[in-house]
Amino acid sequence: MSDFSVFIGGSAGSIAPLISILSRLPANFSPSITLVIHSNEDSKSTVTDVIANNCPLTVIEISDKGHFKSNTVHVAPGGYHLYVENKKHFSLSIDKKIHFSRPSIDVLFTSAAEVFKNHCIAILLSGANGDGAEGLLNIKKHGGLTVAQSPASAQVDIMPQTAIDKGAAAKVLSPKEISHLLLRINDEYSLL
Amino acid sequence: MVITRQGETTILDEQDTRLTLKTENLEIKLLITAIKEKTGYDLSGYAQASIKRRIKQLVVDENVGHISDLIAKLLHSPQSESHFINSLTVNVSELFRHPQSFLQLRESVLPYLASFPRRDIWIAGCSTGEEAYSMAILLEEVGLLKNTQIHATDINTDVLKKAQTGVLSKALNKGDAARYQASGGTASLSKYFSTAYNKNKLSQFLLDHISFSHHNILQDQVFCSAQLVLCRNVMIYFDIETQCHALTLFNNSLVQNGYLVIGEKESLINTPFCRLLKTIDEPAKIYQRKNLENV
Repeated sequence: MSDFSVFIGGSAGSIAPLISILSRLPANFSPSITLVIHSNEDSKSTVTDVIANNCPLTVIEISDKGHFKSNTVHVAPGGYHLYVENKKHFSLSIDKKIHFSRPSIDVLFTSAAEVFKNHCIAILLSGANGDGAEGLLNIKKHGGLTVAQSPASAQVDIMPQTAIDKGAAAKVLSPKEISHLLLRINDEYSLL
Repeated sequence: MVITRQGETTILDEQDTRLTLKTENLEIKLLITAIKEKTGYDLSGYAQASIKRRIKQLVVDENVGHISDLIAKLLHSPQSESHFINSLTVNVSELFRHPQSFLQLRESVLPYLASFPRRDIWIAGCSTGEEAYSMAILLEEVGLLKNTQIHATDINTDVLKKAQTGVLSKALNKGDAARYQASGGTASLSKYFSTAYNKNKLSQFLLDHISFSHHNILQDQVFCSAQLVLCRNVMIYFDIETQCHALTLFNNSLVQNGYLVIGEKESLINTPFCRLLKTIDEPAKIYQRKNLENV
C-alpha cells in the first residue's frame, strides 16, 4: 500500500465540496483518505453515510486503534478526537473540545504531521471557526503539502481564510482543482 | 515527489521541525520515566498521540517553557504529583452513556445474572461515577439491586472522592433523560436523585450498593471476581499492548459465562480476545466469557 496519506478537514458548508472532490476519484485511488468533519453529534444521518453514497471508495467510520487502509475513506466518529497514532493505525480520545469541536481538525492534522511528515497532503475546506489552521500549519512545517479551499468557492470562508492568514496554506484551490491535484498525486505514486 | 515538494527554502525549516519533534519526544520519555520513579504510576503504556497532547496542554497550564520543565516541577513541588496524574488521565462521564448498550444489558444480560444468588459488578475506570450510578438505577428497575455489589474503581483519586458523594458533576438535563429512556427506562430519572442548591445527589439506597476504590488497571491485579465487568472509554487511552494487558485482567476477573462491556468505539478485533470471548451484541459492545472447555 502507498505510504502517502490524505487528510481532509471541514465544518459548515464542507459536505458539498467534499462530495465534489471525492466523487471525482477512481475506486483504485491508492493513498488512504481520512476525514474530520464537524457535525451535530445528535444528527441521525452520519457523515459516513452521506459520503458513502457519493464516493466510489470504501467509506468506514473509525474504531479505536483501527488500521489505515488503501482505497478507503476513514471517517472520524462524532464525539471523539481522532489521532494518527503511527503509520499503521489511529487512536481515539474524549479529551476536551478544541475550538468547540470534538473531533477537532487540529488534533488530526497535528498528529498526522508528526507521523507522515512530507508523505501527506492536508486539505482544509469551508467552515465557520478557526479549527484546522494550526494543524495545517503543522503539516506544512513538517514538509507536507497544504491546501485551503479558495474562500471564493467556500460557502463559509472563515476556516480556510484563517489558515491562509496564518500562512498555513501552500495552495489555495477550488474543489475541482483539489480533485485534479489528488488525481495527479495518485498517478505519481502509482509510478513509484 | 514533484507535486508535493514546496521549494528548497522550506527544507531547512523542515529539519528544524524534525529536530524539535525529536527533542519533544525525548522530553516526553524522560517525563514519563520521572513520573514512574517519583509517583509509581506507569504511563508508558498510554497511546502516544493523545498523551502527548495532554502533556503539551499541561505545559501551557503550568506556564512553563518546555516539557522537561515539568520534570523539575514534579520533583520539587509536592502538590504537583497527583495534579499531573489527574491532568494526564482523562475523566469524562455521563449518565447512561451509549444507551443501546444499557438497553441490551437490561434485556439480555441482567435476566441471566438473576440466576446467581448474589452478584458482583466491576466498573473499571469509573471516573466521576455516572456509570456506576446508571448501573445501580438499572439494577433497581429490574429488581436485582438487592444482593448486588457494584465495585467502581479508578486510578484518579480526585474523581473517586467526587464519585463517592453521589453528587452529579452537572445538573440533570434533557440529554440525561433522553439517554435514560433510550436505555429502556420508563420512570422519571429525577426520582432517583435528591435536589438541593441546584445539585442532584443519587439516592442513598442506591449509593449504598456502590463501593469506590483506587485501582490501577495497568499495574494492579484483578480487583474482584465478577459476573459483569464494564470498562468503557478507558482502553482508548492505552496502546495496543496495554489494551491486551487490560483485557487479560478483565477476562481473568470474569466468572465462566460472565459478561464484559467495552466502549462504543472500542473493538476486540485484532486482539486474541475474539477467541476467548463470545460476541453477544457487537453494536452494544457486549461480550461473554466462554466456558473453558469450549475454548
